[in-house]
Amino acid sequence: MKLAELERYFASVATSTSGPPVDLDEVFKSSSELSARARLGIYNRGYHYRLLGALASVFARTERALGEAQFERLGLAYLARHPSEHPAIERVGRLFPQYLGQLPEIAGEHVDLAVLEWARLTALVAPDPGAILSAHGVDPVQFPSSRLHFVPSLTTLSLDVRALGLFPAVSESSAGGAEASSEAQRRGVAVWRKRHVVRHEALDALELAALELARSGASVTRFCALFESDAPAEDAARAFRVVSGWFAREWIERSEVVTSV
Amino acid sequence: MHRPSDPQQALKQGSSRSLRPIQVGFGLRVSHYEEILKRGIRADFAEITSENFLGRGGRALAVLERVRAELPVALHGVSLSIGGIEPLNRGYLTELAGLATRIDALSVSDHLCFASFGGHYAHDLWPLPYTEEALVHVVARVAEVQDRLGRQLLLENVSSYVEYQASALTEWEFLAEVAARAGAGILLDVNNVFVSAQNLGFSPEQYLVGIPVERVEQLHLAGHSDGGGFLLDDHGSPVTADVWRLYEQALARFGNVPTIIEWDERVPALSELEAEAERARSVAMRGFSGQRERDAVRP
Repeated sequence: MKLAELERYFASVATSTSGPPVDLDEVFKSSSELSARARLGIYNRGYHYRLLGALASVFARTERALGEAQFERLGLAYLARHPSEHPAIERVGRLFPQYLGQLPEIAGEHVDLAVLEWARLTALVAPDPGAILSAHGVDPVQFPSSRLHFVPSLTTLSLDVRALGLFPAVSESSAGGAEASSEAQRRGVAVWRKRHVVRHEALDALELAALELARSGASVTRFCALFESDAPAEDAARAFRVVSGWFAREWIERSEVVTSV
Repeated sequence: MHRPSDPQQALKQGSSRSLRPIQVGFGLRVSHYEEILKRGIRADFAEITSENFLGRGGRALAVLERVRAELPVALHGVSLSIGGIEPLNRGYLTELAGLATRIDALSVSDHLCFASFGGHYAHDLWPLPYTEEALVHVVARVAEVQDRLGRQLLLENVSSYVEYQASALTEWEFLAEVAARAGAGILLDVNNVFVSAQNLGFSPEQYLVGIPVERVEQLHLAGHSDGGGFLLDDHGSPVTADVWRLYEQALARFGNVPTIIEWDERVPALSELEAEAERARSVAMRGFSGQRERDAVRP
């Protein structure tokens, strides 16, 4: 066999989920201590359980929610369908939340818990921001006509509130943002990394809409218009509180004055 | 092909490297990041797994910058797949070259194996058939990698559990020949030599003798476990007594080569990892003290 055939053959045996073929001894050496089948079995177990371990480390809370046995069964089935596409092993779970979402037996909150865990990993490994803009660093005259640029780690999700309730309030997280509930309501959630710590926080619908508009490139004046109501004095205070919160969470990398709003 | 004439003499070869300062270090692991950010590490150099630092920021990058401010850092990869039949991942190589330049890496290394299939990553170190065809293939890919990195690549021997019927060369012959033809360096993992020797039934001393002294740039040490009829290279325990003995022989043959402790499973406290690296220093100091005394009285 040529090199390419040998590598393909080895890979098919090492990644197989249905047991080794019968002709292993024609390709691999056996010894009195260990057969070729047993030797290839070491690679087969190593391949599957190393990747499963990587999946479990990223989706630790999903594993806890599903139970170890079910997570292992689903994880191995996922890995058979979606082998790793990234040089870093931790990224093997990129499609795991979607995979869970296609399985009718998996509850929606467990799917969304996996979505949240993947978003947290993505925030963890995101590039560092070039800078962090402080509220004191903005020009109050130009700020309304500015477009905000957000830190690379910031992302928004829409999640089942029960998934947020399943995510325990741990020291590294600012808040789960919601208590466990029996109803499948959805909440906007921001996920980001502040310095070295990944955080997530539930947002109300208006703040989420403003944030998404701001992230799409709208000027401060334009996204603050979302807060307009019949009480203009309260609108301004509300918009101020929201944008101040973005500065406090260190979401804003820089601002850029735009000529047309 | 490299063929030592007298194996016993070859194991005692040593070299002028014994006059260099002894350098020991260990691989950085996530569980130590917070402590490293607070106090740094006690070692002569550090090793990082390249893939865990490519294109990412946050704590990993802060740890790298903290350590690099004080010590040289070696880049050690697992996903290059130098023996793979898939095209080399050029994006990965570009990022790797950028990181190596940015931190002025002490070295860039990966494993003599294949680690990809059908456009996917195995995240394992699969053995190659040691044939002339594989040799030509690997040499060409090492040359391409070295061109892209603009520096020498170090290749590490992997732990093996199986051999191909098609292999015409031993692993050490293959490794030595790749290094010679491609101008690559060798990162010799002493634990892997021991584990493979037990699993495949060859002499670890014969392996050391088959490796050209001048190509060996670094040594690795790690723990292994009994897998039940075979040794498993799991990096989950201290270096075993047998491997320490083989390390002494490796130092006697290759001279004073920088040594890294690897520990990936059941990772102990940072202080324990530092102590394991210091043990490597003690072994090296013991081995070289006699030679240094002899060198000192030489006219």
